[in-house]
Amino acid sequence: MKSIFNLFTSVKLTIVLLIFFALSSGLGTFIPQQRSPDEYVARFGQLANVLIGLQLTKLYQSLWFIVLLCLLALNIIICTLNRLSPKFKKVFRPRLIIKTKELVALKIMTKLKINKSLDTTKKELKRELSSRHYRIKETEKEKKAFLLARKKILGWFGADVVHLGIIIILVGGIISGLGGFKKNLTFSEGEVLDIPEAGIKLRLDKFETEYYPNSSVKDWKSTLTILKKDKSVLSRVIEVNHPLSYKGFVFYQSSVEWDWTNPSVEIWIKKSKNPSFLRKIKLKVGEKVRLEYENTQIAVLYFFPDFVINERNEITTRSLQPNNPAAFIEGWQADEKILSGWIFARFPDYSRIHSNKETDFSFELKDFKTDQFSVIQVRKDPGANFIWAGCALLMLGLFLAFYWSSREIKVILEEMFGKTEITAGGVASKNKDAFQVEFKKIAANLRRLN
Amino acid sequence: MNESILFQIAFILYVISAILYFSFLFSKKENTAGIGFKFAFVGLLFHTIALILRTIECGHAPFTNMYESLSFLSWASILAYIIIEAKYKILKAGPYFILIVIALMALASSPLMPKEATPLVPALQSYWLWLHVSVTLLGEAFFAMAFITSIMYLRADLREKKNKVVKSSPSSEKLDSISYRCIAIGFPLFTLGGLIFGMIWAYKAWGRYWSWDPKETWSLITWFVFALYLHTRIVMGWKGRLSAYIAAIGFLAALFTYFGVNYLLAGLHSYG
Ligand code: HEM
Repeated sequence: MKSIFNLFTSVKLTIVLLIFFALSSGLGTFIPQQRSPDEYVARFGQLANVLIGLQLTKLYQSLWFIVLLCLLALNIIICTLNRLSPKFKKVFRPRLIIKTKELVALKIMTKLKINKSLDTTKKELKRELSSRHYRIKETEKEKKAFLLARKKILGWFGADVVHLGIIIILVGGIISGLGGFKKNLTFSEGEVLDIPEAGIKLRLDKFETEYYPNSSVKDWKSTLTILKKDKSVLSRVIEVNHPLSYKGFVFYQSSVEWDWTNPSVEIWIKKSKNPSFLRKIKLKVGEKVRLEYENTQIAVLYFFPDFVINERNEITTRSLQPNNPAAFIEGWQADEKILSGWIFARFPDYSRIHSNKETDFSFELKDFKTDQFSVIQVRKDPGANFIWAGCALLMLGLFLAFYWSSREIKVILEEMFGKTEITAGGVASKNKDAFQVEFKKIAANLRRLN
Repeated sequence: MNESILFQIAFILYVISAILYFSFLFSKKENTAGIGFKFAFVGLLFHTIALILRTIECGHAPFTNMYESLSFLSWASILAYIIIEAKYKILKAGPYFILIVIALMALASSPLMPKEATPLVPALQSYWLWLHVSVTLLGEAFFAMAFITSIMYLRADLREKKNKVVKSSPSSEKLDSISYRCIAIGFPLFTLGGLIFGMIWAYKAWGRYWSWDPKETWSLITWFVFALYLHTRIVMGWKGRLSAYIAAIGFLAALFTYFGVNYLLAGLHSYG
């Protein structure tokens, strides 16, 4: 038990754990994570079983990775606490009476002789030290005076604050992992959805997509109203990067989904022999429209947003995004089908129209319209506030550790035949060169008393 | 004056500065290096205006494609160099460091890098983008400076072991301590920009502060390497060669986070 405890007080273990942690998280970036077993077999063959067995395919959620994190946490906690109590004692209950030997052993030290009485010298020294913002403690024993002058004592605790911050971040991560809640809502305008977990209902009042001049998406905006017991309590427009928070639940605009159940299309019809002929028709899928021309009727039978021919030679849609919109049309004259085929919005030249009769019609799929759903993600992440608090502590600790250099000067004054002999030594937590410069200046100013 | 002309002027000034620095390496005339330093400084001014113009032209922070981000990284590196040089006076690091900057600038101006400003996808429209990228790259610039001084340390250490004294060269002890000072600046910046601002932004945009995407993971690895540096050095007192090696590995990890992840691994961050 004791030896396990000792192991965790060791910074050598920290070094081993940090290396392990870095290597294993690096490994996870070269193996695609959280895919289906088939994908791993296709990619890695025989090796796939080993990867899955060792949980390398969900490395960051794997048992061994979490154990590694816990060991690191335990190491930080035990190591920091183990050093903290002697440090507290040293900083808050310092020994004032010390031996000359201890000072002489310090790297930054000096010995002086001043031709003044002990009291005068001490007064001068104290004035000098306080003008440099040192706080002074003093005592006397056996005709010797002992001074302890310190400033920025928090600088000794920088590392501890850093480690506390890391622990709080880890705790936040655990809380997020266990207590988090996430749900995707797909809405159309005017719809009200129940969110029992939050005890509210949510209504989408308005949804719009903004575009750049080059027609790529600029932003999605949803006007949301929160309803409690069917009374509206809050109404806000949310967009990407500007979520809405309500009692711990956060509503994010995540993206858009298309409703392809009832699209309508706009088709332009031309005749090659008659350049002045142009008919623009708008119709729903399944609808038939009379052209007022040679008794012709046009119908749209199918519409696919992302037209593709799969490996089994079937025509289908690859996704629900309008990446390659295509419509299948038929033309009729009286009761006779005269043409049928696919036309493409993005590739007008690829239209494939089969005609049963001599016709010179050509078709273009100009536009399509359909309802859009706003996709809103609802999250509750009770760990998030721990994360931010931990991050703040982490930064504060780093600042203390690197830039809040704690300085300490110990002095022994002893009167000998009307003169005062001074032995002084100093320690700084950081930036020892600057401290040495200050130390020498203080000594030089004292010497001037002679 | 448009952005790309100013960028090219800055580039030329950096090249002149490098030539002066290298002639200082051979002639040992400190004057030459001093003029080189001034050229780098003036280059930085032109470069600053170029970045400001770019921001005005495209209407958002200039960090959205590789050209913009390389240009900013070069700018940050020169800034880091000027700060360290003004404080610690290590003229000898100048030539090597400016060489890195020139490599970055050359990469930025290569025809392979698309230069036109593209409209931002919705997730990127946030002032956190600005904070996240600028602070991170500034931190990485100091890591680059630590890398150069660490390599110089390793050479100086070898030389001193063989009892060869080159008068004009900084001592290995000084290089070791400057390398540490660079990391003492770079580490807090990288922590703030790379990890904390990154988490805040991810939380605002996607609702999760951490998702183990390759870029995030590699930033964390970089961070761990420098944590390793601090612990071995300050707690265990293993200074010198080991510190220099770890600082070099840390910089390489940062470099991989910056380039490798975009080109070799896929994830949320591989936008442009
Ligand atoms: C994983 C990320 C970690 C980071 C970023 C980190 C950061 C730091 C920093 C910045 C210092 C201050 C060095 C200085 O005084 O300038 C420090 C010191 C220290 N760290 Fe860590 N640390 C980490 C993990 C750990 C762990 C797991 C342990 C567990 C043993 C540990 C133990 C220590 C100790 C004992 C010190 C010296 C404390 C003192 O000066 O009294 N650290 N650490």
